Amino acid sequence: MNAPTAALVAPRLERLRLVGQRRQILSMMHQRLMLGMLLYAGIVAIIALRLVYLAAFGVHSGEQGGVPALVPDRGDIIDRDGEPLARTINAWSIAIHPDKVIGDKLALAGRLAQVMPEHSEADYFAMLKSGKSFIYLQRRASPDLVQAVNAIGEPGIEIQREPVRLYPQTTLAAHVVGFSNIDGHGAYGIERAFDKQLSDPATRGAPIQLSISMKIQQALEHELSDAMTHFSALGAAGVVMDVHTGEVLAMTSLPAMNPNAPGQVTPDQMFNRATQGVYELGSTFKPFTLAMAMDSGTVSGPGQMFNCPKVLPAYGHLVHDTHPFGRMCSVAEIMMESSNIGMAQIADQLGTARQQAWLKKMGFLSPVEIELKERGRPLTPRSWGPFETMTVGFGQGIAVAPLQLAMGYATLFDGGVYHPPTILKIGPNHPLSPGRRVFTADTSYRMRSLLRLVVMRGTGRKADAPGYRVGGKTGTAQKVINGRYSQTVNITSFAGVFPMDDPRYVIVVMLDAPHATPETYGFTTAGWNVAPVVSRTVSRIAPMLGVQPDLNREPDMNEVLPYVQGAQQDTKKD
Amino acid sequence: MSVRSFHSVYMAGAVAAAALGCYLVSLRVASERAALEGVETRIVQTQSDIRMLQTEIGTRGRLDQLEQWNASALSLSAPAANQFVEDSFQLAKLAAPDHRLEVKAPVVMASAPAPAPQPVLGNDQSDQAGASPPEASPQQLIHEASLKIEPRDVQETAPFVPAAAKAKAKPEPLAPKATPPKSRPEPASAIKATSKKQAPKLSIASAHSEGKSIKLAEADPLAPLPYGKARSAHSQQPRDSDRRK
Repeated sequence: MNAPTAALVAPRLERLRLVGQRRQILSMMHQRLMLGMLLYAGIVAIIALRLVYLAAFGVHSGEQGGVPALVPDRGDIIDRDGEPLARTINAWSIAIHPDKVIGDKLALAGRLAQVMPEHSEADYFAMLKSGKSFIYLQRRASPDLVQAVNAIGEPGIEIQREPVRLYPQTTLAAHVVGFSNIDGHGAYGIERAFDKQLSDPATRGAPIQLSISMKIQQALEHELSDAMTHFSALGAAGVVMDVHTGEVLAMTSLPAMNPNAPGQVTPDQMFNRATQGVYELGSTFKPFTLAMAMDSGTVSGPGQMFNCPKVLPAYGHLVHDTHPFGRMCSVAEIMMESSNIGMAQIADQLGTARQQAWLKKMGFLSPVEIELKERGRPLTPRSWGPFETMTVGFGQGIAVAPLQLAMGYATLFDGGVYHPPTILKIGPNHPLSPGRRVFTADTSYRMRSLLRLVVMRGTGRKADAPGYRVGGKTGTAQKVINGRYSQTVNITSFAGVFPMDDPRYVIVVMLDAPHATPETYGFTTAGWNVAPVVSRTVSRIAPMLGVQPDLNREPDMNEVLPYVQGAQQDTKKD
Repeated sequence: MSVRSFHSVYMAGAVAAAALGCYLVSLRVASERAALEGVETRIVQTQSDIRMLQTEIGTRGRLDQLEQWNASALSLSAPAANQFVEDSFQLAKLAAPDHRLEVKAPVVMASAPAPAPQPVLGNDQSDQAGASPPEASPQQLIHEASLKIEPRDVQETAPFVPAAAKAKAKPEPLAPKATPPKSRPEPASAIKATSKKQAPKLSIASAHSEGKSIKLAEADPLAPLPYGKARSAHSQQPRDSDRRK
């Protein structure tokens, strides 16, 4: 229709041009309008879609952003009965932003000094004037203090909750549990050894269960600390271990440390005497030498006789005894009276090579196998000649950690099978390792009556806990001070096993440099100071461990009593 | 025509209504979800609070603290070996009462009837003479049994009554001498029969005491009055008979 009209008005070119321009403008305007409309429609559509999406799946005001289960900031550590030994809680902390303080700084410093008298008013004023942006005034503040500080009403003071590590049992098992540093990472003990597991969000929900039993730990710590105070000793260590599994039920080192205040712990307190400290533990080593000799066949049994003079010259040295026999004596008597002379001869017959092989098999020549990182390396003689073999035979010249000694006794009385000691509870998550055989079951069985004899009639009489059939061995070693053996300062130890007719638990206690008291008649030997600790501790912990006391049960003492001079008459008298 | 032209409007309205319905459903779901999350949050918060409180209790009651309290106040110690019992037999042995005193009494009882068959065997007079006291002894035993019942009544009634009973018990040994075949007269008349000067006084005293006991029973605030009277009257009858025995 347009074409003929155009043809009709064709001659008027100006008009045509005008019409063409108008059309062009109009179409362009339409295009722009359409574009603008589409744009607005698109925006509205996007907003509408977004609204619909938000209404259906979006975040709404009531939502908490995916409520997580209760996962602590750092995993708990619990004992074998599930009691908490370490927990992370939210504590109050009080901090100040000196640059944001509005009020009078001098007055504020005065108020702060009133509420928190740790620092003087001048100190607080200096803090406020320092121009720093953030200073902690108090961490782990008590609610009362928080209330008091809040009442000051200064907006520059910030009161916040932050996670802190709390050790509810304070010093109990502190050397095992350890502590974490201010950044929340483990710095000692289990906290250090299992830091990754404790801090990893994937694993920290589940607590780490230790083999430690709090009640047993408390009994051991209390008795040991009493003895340490009573005998003015420098330090003490104690271990209670399950013979059959190698689980450490209690392990303590004194002086104690408080992991809640790791900044105040001295290096002496931090030193774990049970695993880090290596000591010449003296006669407690003798049962091992005897077991080695019996297993190797150099000693036939408790009845074999040895010549025990008052002094034994050997390889250019003299071996002495505290209770010299001066006659022929049986192996049973050597054990009972802890004769160095007798044991030196047994070790000599065993020989250096065999002794070293046995010690290696028992794990005495390498650091103790335990999950903790605070471990000491045993000290062995540099030149291991025949005389050193003798001294190692009665426990001198070789220094091991008390935990290692406990491990050795556990091996000896678990039918001769070695299980590496562990601080984690044996269970589905931590199965019992198969272990390896060190001694024969027969040797293990024969050692029972020998060690029971020591407690019944020998040097360890004070370690007996009536009804619990404690067997064990005392050990008194001279302390090495400045590279020389001290004649007066001792390290006394006792390694005990109970009940001896069916060994279940090992207890090792050690006192570092105990002093004599009037009750000990001036003696500082193990039978006088650590043996009573064992007696008291065993009679406390054995009922908890389910050991039934029985005054009529004993291991088969007929294995050894016939070889002890005077024992026959005594039994008749009894 | 008009219906057709409004068709699209109806369609739009229906779609809008459906969309609104869907939106409301989703809104409802979202609000329920939010409420659920609120509950979950509260559960977690409560768990956290429980944990906090447990930690606080555990810290305040830590073993070291308990040990100190034990040392300062309780002084408990571990049980000794002889404080354990091995089996139920030992336990029963501990609880068994000591029968020694009771064992002796039946021995005497057993010896009392034992001589009775002896006269049948021996036919000796000496045996018969010996047998007579055992015959008396069962009576004594019966007496003792009746005496044992008496305190039960005394406890029930007023404390005045025993005094009256004693007063009556005193004339009793005299009474059998006077009248050995004793019937059941009233107590006052029986004592009157003895015709002693003190007897009327005693009877009056006993009557007084009886009156007093009734008064006391009446005065009992806890018992309803008619029942109290009846009960006291009833209880007196057997008591008197007991006394006469």
